[in-house]
Amino acid sequence: MSIQKLSPVLATTYENFPKGRFITLIVIRTTQSETIFRTEGSGESMCNEFVQAGVTNDNIIQRLVMTKRKQVAPERRYGREHLRAHDLLFTNIKDNSICSLNTNAPCEMCVDCFLYGFAAGGGGAQKSRIWTEDAFSILPATDVVGDRTINAIYENGTMRDEKGNASTALNTSEYIKPGVHFLDVVTLKDVTTDELRYIIGNILFTSRYGAVSSRVGRMENQILGIFGSITELPSSLELVQATYDALGEPLEHPLNINRVITATKQVITNWQNRRGVSVQLSDEELTNLISDVETHWSEAERDTFLKRLSQSYEPFRQVAPDKNKGKGKGKNKNTPVEVEN
Amino acid sequence: MSTIPFSQAKLIELNCLEPVFFASRELSDTYYTEGLLGNYALTYALGWVNSPYRLQGQATGRPTYKEDFQTIAQSCYILPASPIGRVTFRFERFNALSDAYWYTMTNNRVATAREDLPLQRQGKKPSSFRASNFPQTGRLRMIERGNKFQTLVFGNQQLPDYIRLGKFASKVKVNVLKEFPVTLLPPGEYQSQFYLNVADLPTQIEVFAFDLISIPPAPILKNLHFRGAAWQIGEMIVPAGLHYCGRENRNE
Ligand SMILES: [Zn+2]
Repeated sequence: MSIQKLSPVLATTYENFPKGRFITLIVIRTTQSETIFRTEGSGESMCNEFVQAGVTNDNIIQRLVMTKRKQVAPERRYGREHLRAHDLLFTNIKDNSICSLNTNAPCEMCVDCFLYGFAAGGGGAQKSRIWTEDAFSILPATDVVGDRTINAIYENGTMRDEKGNASTALNTSEYIKPGVHFLDVVTLKDVTTDELRYIIGNILFTSRYGAVSSRVGRMENQILGIFGSITELPSSLELVQATYDALGEPLEHPLNINRVITATKQVITNWQNRRGVSVQLSDEELTNLISDVETHWSEAERDTFLKRLSQSYEPFRQVAPDKNKGKGKGKNKNTPVEVEN
Repeated sequence: MSTIPFSQAKLIELNCLEPVFFASRELSDTYYTEGLLGNYALTYALGWVNSPYRLQGQATGRPTYKEDFQTIAQSCYILPASPIGRVTFRFERFNALSDAYWYTMTNNRVATAREDLPLQRQGKKPSSFRASNFPQTGRLRMIERGNKFQTLVFGNQQLPDYIRLGKFASKVKVNVLKEFPVTLLPPGEYQSQFYLNVADLPTQIEVFAFDLISIPPAPILKNLHFRGAAWQIGEMIVPAGLHYCGRENRNE
């Protein structure tokens, strides 16, 4: 079992104080449809930045950026959907509502709260043990961004309504083309075996990112490498730059994914010799670990797996258990709504 | 002040691989990061002292710098990091988003209880629509990616290659530029080029002039002109006897 090879850097149980156990996931994220990543709302251009092209190639190019918040939000949501489905979100004592992101009411007890953290006003706070990084496109933004004209037609099938007024919904907007690769480094601190399975599942099974994600933003994530260490490994930016150098010419969109994977793996092989690295999974071990994760998330085992993970935090749930027996029910019809005038 | 607790110091460079955010200042709905890296934040980031993953009870209302740093104050110290060149910033908008299919932005609150909406329309205030006590929307001024800072590390600690800083655990690369012995200079008039934490200054020095950067948890001084003993590190000078929460301890 390959997951056992990581045991020197896995925690046996959740602990409140850090212990210098790092697991690094190397992720390639590939757009499968048009995708939109903006930081300033609609009408703004795609999120991009001028950075050096490679480590040795010192040309300055504009790269697309998938910010850390754009990655972690949908991945947490994915996990939370299943926690909700398996009745593993807890009811918050403050206003008796079920655990919810970004409201006043994190439950402070569910798997998501323990792993991804929360900041409650006043009550307490939990730091995330999942450190994401801004991910960069390999190719320059100019090569992988397209323009689309949106013209919203009326129900009569024309650009004018029945009174003859022209539609104002005519706009051009930018989008990221399908087949664009982002390279990413995800760092996990002091996680347990089941937490690792949960996090990897969230990354592998999340398929939509960015703005208006019900219509666009399909993305496929693959894990190319897993390291165990006592320190942090290089950044996403350094990874994308080293890979850019390793790819060689010609570089044009769409890049063949196998060529990208080969170049990335070639780069991270050197990381094995870095200070503090104790484990690197081989390709075969990585494949085994991924299928281990898929088994735990499968229809047959998911309920057992998620409940066992949730159960592992039981000693740390400080509020008397009888107050939380209503877990998973949330705001049902019998919950009185508190009203103030 | 005849002995020097630290025989050597390292000049290090901190390279921001990601935008860095600290809530140094708040103006309306904009949260500003000042153009420096505080030494208390650096001390935690370097892993010299542990801070728990979950803060509960008293710890949420009061930081524990004094208790935390007491254990390491004799073996190491780091100055606040000052920018190399001019600091550049970027602005980003943030919006809290819910995981519900239906949600609405109320008075600084993302409300998700759809069943409370009719009550709210009748002018009543269901608790799920009450304002949030932490920001749900606004703008962040962050130190932009690519900014570089420098600072002095006293003591023999081995330094990590990368650290995480600020609210979003932004990745920062640590480069050791040079190592120096620390020598003690007799009391005299000196000027320090480094940023200094007010709370860590020795009480024995006489201060003539400085620029003040007012940030939490303690203000930072720059261009300090002082009289007193000094440490010399290469060509650089700082007041002798810098010590975590040094000013506070001696006032007791
Ligand atoms: Zn929760």
